[in-house]
Amino acid sequence: MANLETKLIDEVIVSGRRKMLALGGAALASLAFGGVRVVQAASYTDSDILNFALNLEYLEAQFYTLATAGTTIDKLKTPIGIGAGTSATGGGTVKTKPGGPAACLVNWTVPAIQAYATEIAQEERNHVTFLRGALGSAAVAMPNLDLYTSFNTLASAAGIGASFDPFSGDDQFLIGAYIFEDVGVTAYTGAAGLITTPANLAAAAGILAVEAYHAGLVRTSIFGLDPTGSVGLQGGTQKISATRMALDGSATVDDIGVGFQTTSTEPASTTLEASTIVDAQTGSPNYSKTYSRTTTQVLQIVTGNPTAPAAGTKYQGVFFPNGLNGLFS
Amino acid sequence: MDKKLTELVDKALSRRVFLAGSGAAAATLIAGCSSSPVVTVPTTTPTPTPSYDPVDYLNFALNLEYLEAEFYLRAATGAGLSAADTGNATTTVTVPSTTLVPGLTATQQAYLYEISQNELDHVRFLRSALGSSAVSRPNIDLLNSFNSLAAAANIGSSFNPFESYENFLIGAFIFEDVGVTAYLGAASVLMALSGGSAYLGAAAEIMAVEAYHAAEIRTLLIADSVATASKTATMVTPNNTYVNMANSISKLRYDLGGGNETTLTPLPPYALPFVPTAYTPASSIVAADTTNSIAFARTADEVLHIVYGVPEGPGVVGGGFFPNGMSGNISTTLR
Repeated sequence: MANLETKLIDEVIVSGRRKMLALGGAALASLAFGGVRVVQAASYTDSDILNFALNLEYLEAQFYTLATAGTTIDKLKTPIGIGAGTSATGGGTVKTKPGGPAACLVNWTVPAIQAYATEIAQEERNHVTFLRGALGSAAVAMPNLDLYTSFNTLASAAGIGASFDPFSGDDQFLIGAYIFEDVGVTAYTGAAGLITTPANLAAAAGILAVEAYHAGLVRTSIFGLDPTGSVGLQGGTQKISATRMALDGSATVDDIGVGFQTTSTEPASTTLEASTIVDAQTGSPNYSKTYSRTTTQVLQIVTGNPTAPAAGTKYQGVFFPNGLNGLFS
Repeated sequence: MDKKLTELVDKALSRRVFLAGSGAAAATLIAGCSSSPVVTVPTTTPTPTPSYDPVDYLNFALNLEYLEAEFYLRAATGAGLSAADTGNATTTVTVPSTTLVPGLTATQQAYLYEISQNELDHVRFLRSALGSSAVSRPNIDLLNSFNSLAAAANIGSSFNPFESYENFLIGAFIFEDVGVTAYLGAASVLMALSGGSAYLGAAAEIMAVEAYHAAEIRTLLIADSVATASKTATMVTPNNTYVNMANSISKLRYDLGGGNETTLTPLPPYALPFVPTAYTPASSIVAADTTNSIAFARTADEVLHIVYGVPEGPGVVGGGFFPNGMSGNISTTLR
C-alpha cells in the first residue's frame, strides 16, 4: 500500500515538475511543492475526500450550533440529517457538558460576538447540508463526537488549564472556535491537491475560502479583545497552535498563534511590530502563504494522536472518540 | 456516483445568488450604472479569442498583488515597492501627496504592517515562481481611481483611503473580497489547463490569506461601528457610516463584476444591560452564497471590469487602478 501510494505521488510530482520546468522555473518547482506531503490512502475518489471534509463539518456545525442555539443540528426546528446517505437519523451522538446541549448555549455579553457565532453556525450547517447533498447516497453518517472531555484533554495538553469550557463565555467561545478554524483551512488546502474534477475543486476551494474567512474573523476578534496580550487570549492561541504543531508532526513551523511578529516590510532596514491575524509566517521561505496539512496530519490533531494507530485501526480520541467515518480515518 | 456528484455540485454552484431577496434593488443598480461608466474608457480594440496558459493566470494574479502591495505598503510605511520588487519597472504609481495613514493606534498600525508584509510576500513569491516570465509592475493609480469609484458608488465626489483609519478600511475593503473571488475563479480554470494543477496548492494557500484579510477588514468595520457607537445608559447605537459606505462599494462591485457580493449586515442597536436571548441576528462577515455558504468565484474578465472600473463591455484595455491596463496577456476585457 505504501509502495503504490509513494509511486503515485512520485508520478504526480515528476510530471508536475516537468511541466513547471517547461514553463521556465526551477525555483517554482521547489516553491510550489513545498507543501506537498504524502497522502494516506492508495486509492481514493473525490467522494472520499468530500466525506473526510464532511466529518470535520459535522464537528464544527455541532460546536457552533450548541453555542448559539443550545441544541444539536439534528434537533433544530429544521433538523439536519446526520445518518448515512440521505437518512436523517442513524448517526452518532454528541457528548456535551453536564446539563446537556441546553447548557452549552453561551451567555453572550458581547453582541457582535453573538452575531458572529450565529453567522458561523449557519454557514457550517450549510456546509454539512451541501456536502451531504453533493455526496447523496455516499455520504457518511456523523460519527460519535465529543465536545466536552475533548476540550479538557486539549487544554491540559496545551497547558492552558486542567479543564476548559468553550461554552462558558464570549472569550472562551472564541478560543474554542480558534481550535477548529485554522485546522479547517489547512485541511481543505491539503485536500484541494487531491481532488480530481474542476467542479469539485471549485466547491472545495469555495468552502476553504469560507473557513479562512471564519479563521480571520475569529483571530481578529481575539486580537481585538486582547490587543496587547495582557488578557491571556493571545497566549492561549499560541499554546494551542504549538500543540497542533506537535500533534501533526510537522518538522517546520506550520501554525502560529495570534500575537505579534517582527517584519521588515519596506524599507528593509526597519523592523516593524506586525500582528499575526493570518496563520502564516511572513518572509522567506513561506512568503505569507497559509499551510497545508495532509489528511493524516489533520487526523492526528482532531484525535490527539501524534503517532499512527496499529495497522487496520482508526485514529481515535479527543473530538472523535471512535474515529472518523469513511476512507480517510 | 462521481458523475452524479459532479452534477450536483454544478447545480449547487449555479444557484449562487447575490443578496437573496434584493434582486429588484440590484436590477435597478445595474440599469442605473449601465448608462454611466465609472471612468472614462481610454481606448478600445477588437476582441481576440484568447487562449490563456497557467503563466498568464499567474501574471494576472501578480498584477493584483502589485496593486495590493502598493496600496498597503504606502498606507503602512509611506513608501511603496522597491525597484527590485517591481521588476525595475519604469512605470509610476499615482498617489496623494502623503499616504502614511495618520493617527493610528499601535493595534491598528500592527494590522497595516501585517497585511502589507503579506502582500509584499505574495509579489515576491509570484515573481520568484514566474522567474523570467514575470511581468513588471504596470502603471497604478491610487488617487483618481478612488475618486472615480467613490463617485460611482455614491459615497462622495472624492475619496482618499490614506486619510484616516476608517478610510483605509474602506480602501482595503475594495480590494480584499475581490482577491478571494479572483483566486477562486482561477483555481478551477487552472486545474483544467495543461500544467495548471501544479500551481493549485500555492494558489489555494494565497487565496486563503486573502480570505483571512477580507474577514479581518470586514470584522474591523463592524468593530469600528461599535467603538464609535452613540451610547446612553440604556442603549448602544452602532455608528454605521463606514459599514454603509462599504456596502455601497459592494453594490458597485456587484454591478461591475458579475454579481457575487455579500453586503455587511450592520449591528442593530441594543439595550443595556445586554440580554442575549433577545438579540440573535447573524452577521455577514463571510462573502458567500447564502444557500451553501461557498465563497464566490469570479472570472478574470469580471475582475478586470472591477479593477478597471468599467461596466460590461468588450475591448477595454485599462482604467481605474490600472490606467494603462494590466501587464501580461490577460488585460483586455472580453465581454
